[in-house]
Amino acid sequence: MTKSNRTSVQAFPEGQEYDTYVKRRQRKAKTWHGLFFTATLIGILALAALLLDVINDAFGYVAIQSKVSESTLVGNYFKQQMLDARRTLTSEDDQTLVDNVATRGTAVGFFGYAYYASNTDKLAVVAIDGVKPDAATVADGSYPLARPLYVYTTEEILQAKPQVAAFVGYTLDHVNQAIGDIGYFPVSEADLAAARQQWQAAASNPDEAATFSGEILSVGSSTVTPIIERMAQDFQANMPTTSVIAESIGTDAGIRAFCLDGRGDLLSASRALTQVEEAACSKEGRDLIQLVIANDGIPVVVNPENTFATNLTLDQLKQAFTTAETWADLDPAWPDRPILHFIPGADSGTLDFFSAEVFGTRLEGQSATDLAAMLKIALSAGRVRALESAAPLNEQPVAALIALARSEIIKPTGAGSWSLFESLTRRAEIAAEVAAMPDTELQFRSWINKNFLVNAQSSDPYKAGINIAIMGSLWVTIIAFLMAVPLGIAAAIYLEEYSNGKSRLDQIIETNINNLAGVPSIIYGMLGLAVFVRFMSIVTSGQLFGYGDPATTNGRTILSAGLTLGLLILPLVIINAREAIRAVPRGLREASYGLGATRWQTVWNHVLPSSMSGILTGIILAVSRAFGETAPLIVVGVSTFIVVRPDGPFSKFTTLTAQIYQWTSRPQEEFQHLAAAAILVLLVLLITLNSAAIYLRTRYAKNKQ
Amino acid sequence: MTVSHSDTYAIEAKDLNVYYGGFRAVRDINLAIEPRKITALIGPSGCGKSTVLRAFNRMNDLIPVARTEGSVTFHGKNIYDADVDAVEVRRRIGMVFQKPNPFPKSIYENIAWGAKINGYRGRMDDLVEESLRGAALWDEVKDKLKESGYSLSGGQQQRLCIARTIAVKPDIILMDEPCSALDPIATLRIEELMKELVQEYTIIIVTHNMQQAARVADYTAFFTVSPDRTGYLEEYGETSRMFTSPTSRVTEDYITGRFG
Ligand SMILES: Nc1ncnc2c1ncn2[C@@H]1O[C@H](COP(=O)(O)OP(=O)(O)O)[C@@H](O)[C@H]1O
Ligand SMILES: [Mg+2]
Repeated sequence: MTKSNRTSVQAFPEGQEYDTYVKRRQRKAKTWHGLFFTATLIGILALAALLLDVINDAFGYVAIQSKVSESTLVGNYFKQQMLDARRTLTSEDDQTLVDNVATRGTAVGFFGYAYYASNTDKLAVVAIDGVKPDAATVADGSYPLARPLYVYTTEEILQAKPQVAAFVGYTLDHVNQAIGDIGYFPVSEADLAAARQQWQAAASNPDEAATFSGEILSVGSSTVTPIIERMAQDFQANMPTTSVIAESIGTDAGIRAFCLDGRGDLLSASRALTQVEEAACSKEGRDLIQLVIANDGIPVVVNPENTFATNLTLDQLKQAFTTAETWADLDPAWPDRPILHFIPGADSGTLDFFSAEVFGTRLEGQSATDLAAMLKIALSAGRVRALESAAPLNEQPVAALIALARSEIIKPTGAGSWSLFESLTRRAEIAAEVAAMPDTELQFRSWINKNFLVNAQSSDPYKAGINIAIMGSLWVTIIAFLMAVPLGIAAAIYLEEYSNGKSRLDQIIETNINNLAGVPSIIYGMLGLAVFVRFMSIVTSGQLFGYGDPATTNGRTILSAGLTLGLLILPLVIINAREAIRAVPRGLREASYGLGATRWQTVWNHVLPSSMSGILTGIILAVSRAFGETAPLIVVGVSTFIVVRPDGPFSKFTTLTAQIYQWTSRPQEEFQHLAAAAILVLLVLLITLNSAAIYLRTRYAKNKQ
Repeated sequence: MTVSHSDTYAIEAKDLNVYYGGFRAVRDINLAIEPRKITALIGPSGCGKSTVLRAFNRMNDLIPVARTEGSVTFHGKNIYDADVDAVEVRRRIGMVFQKPNPFPKSIYENIAWGAKINGYRGRMDDLVEESLRGAALWDEVKDKLKESGYSLSGGQQQRLCIARTIAVKPDIILMDEPCSALDPIATLRIEELMKELVQEYTIIIVTHNMQQAARVADYTAFFTVSPDRTGYLEEYGETSRMFTSPTSRVTEDYITGRFG
């Protein structure tokens, strides 16, 4: 014994040898630590990647192309209303309008400010909501019929072409002196100074005394053109070697020419460019500098004899040019004399501007009468009759009419869609692409939105929703739950508390349940098809209970699917419940039995409450499984396209997972976005379910103590 | 060993054999327990003390592999007869376990539950107070009856288990090493309690602590094992005599600490 003792002591490493041994051990520990950490990291990264992928597809830009743009629809309607109003004279010549208003006592009209400015003695200007147009109210925007006018250029152009820089500088210096003549309002000194500063910085302090030569091309707004032309005239007087050409093609065409085609040195615009448009320009290498050069304001005028209508509210203004026939219609205190209208003609930008400012350019905010009229004008008589089958259009709610106008006239359709990543990284490129498409709007779209949640399936991805799929999933899961949970818990109690595991039957059950949990789900689908859909069709179709039409019904119903999933999750419920029941300490049962409790009393009062948290966990795992299952449902006969809400266990149905599966197999890109959105919803629902379970579990765990 | 008419005994095992599957844990036990006395079962571990104790209230029925032969006579009836309900037996013969095992419920509920399932119709508050007083626990818990049984100390928990047992008014209380998980002071309190309880109840206690047997037991049964690990009753008699003049050599060795 002593001998063997000594050998074993010597067999342990000592000193140097021991140190290397310990070091090697530590190295090994580090390696394992690293391996385990890497494994965890890979797992987490995989999850994160999955989530990111889904989120990437669920949000992003979409290009929405309208058959008719909303502003055109609304604008044209109100322009026509004005043109069609009784006692209306239109003229492209503003002087004609001036003369008419000046000579007729009950007239009202509007035109460019220049014509009013040179005829102030013959006309009376009307305040709108108490504001009259003058340099101050127009500059600060408090006068409603006012807008700034812009010139855009870029730093590159200003630096590459000194003559352009000189012309812009000249314009900023002199525009306010000439603006009265041109017929617009001056920009405030502060705004002008700011513009000057911007110009100076961009043009790197050009030498204004030098002489320049070359061409200066301005493209864009016809409203702004007179200013450019006037400035060009003055500028060329000093600088005869330059030539300024102003192409009056309209703001929108100007933007396309300047940004996309790279034509022109200056872009004139009667409105500010949108962010999207600016982005589209930068994408093409044109980083715009915005300069305000003037303000536009349209005066509303009456005959000087008219002493009552010194002020009109916006509402009165709308009526004055459309529905009102006499001045008394606008205000009972005013004379009952007809209103004579003198307005610019249909092709005039002033009419467009007036209509846009007074009536707006959007459907929202318009009256039911106007919306109904828009529909009646745009649609065929037959279509209108169809839409009026329930109620006359005039009597339908505004929201419904707006929706109708959108779907019947504007008809927005998807013209392209991008992922979140693309939307973030290729913003300008996408904006440029969309800017080139007519009547197309770039929108950032969350594919998960209210409509997505409340709408039924649709072949139009912009209208498709998951409401029916969610209902289907809930129905099917609830039925699976109702079947599997009571059965599963009962079986678990039997196997753990009643069966002694000795009888052959018990042993067969025991092994089979464990094997059943491993059977592929598609097999359950085939079982469900054979048993519930086919064999028990009379029950599962509801025919037995008087539901459905015997000729068309079959067993492909919520009930069949629910029962199939119930079968599928039954072994899961049993196995988890058994684990939970087995974990109840023996002492608890002995305490109960020791007091003379029966088996049932023991199970009900002690075993079940103590194992409830574990059983619940199992149930939730099982329900999540049922909720996320697809394959067996496809076998049992989930509908691929269904627009009727399920109203009971005998309804046809689709589920969220089936819907996702169906969308992912579609070629159009939009459906991939829909699938991603649906996956997010599925994840949220599952997480909610699990959180509820965790909450319940902790509550139970607390009660137990 | 005195053999007399079984009616005079609280409970009596005759030719009792208990098997776990094919293994015979105890053989041929003949043991007659005196009423309103404390009987201690002692012996080396694994000799079948718990097995015999549990045979007295058919607790072994709960072990699927356990099988009992022989008879246990209680009130003139063999509790293993086919027409006897094991649940009824356990109500009459209560049990206190080695590890305190209160229910995960309030102190009040711990006492009340047993009475409730046995159809108690009296005032529950009275029963709870009476049982807790009987287990010498009332003064310590009367202000926190709503609190969980787990909030008590080990010794208090064990007394709660005793209170719970006496609440259903059994004839016999079986205790399987009730103090082995407790500290010496808690142990002493339980021993004192047993001495009070024995005024009304017959108590059978398994203990591996010989001093405890000497202190509390009126009678002592000494079990030992044969080489095939089957336990049997070696000697049984009044404690005072057993500890002073054991008849068996094995008993003497065990008692004097020369065993194993
Ligand atoms: N549930 C059981 N299944 C199988 N064998 C058991 C079981 N309980 C006890 N035994 C065996 O029976 C014998 C007696 O056990 P036990 O009565 O617990 O002894 P003691 O209480 O005297 O220590 C031991 O050999 C033990 O291994
Ligand atoms: Mg024991």
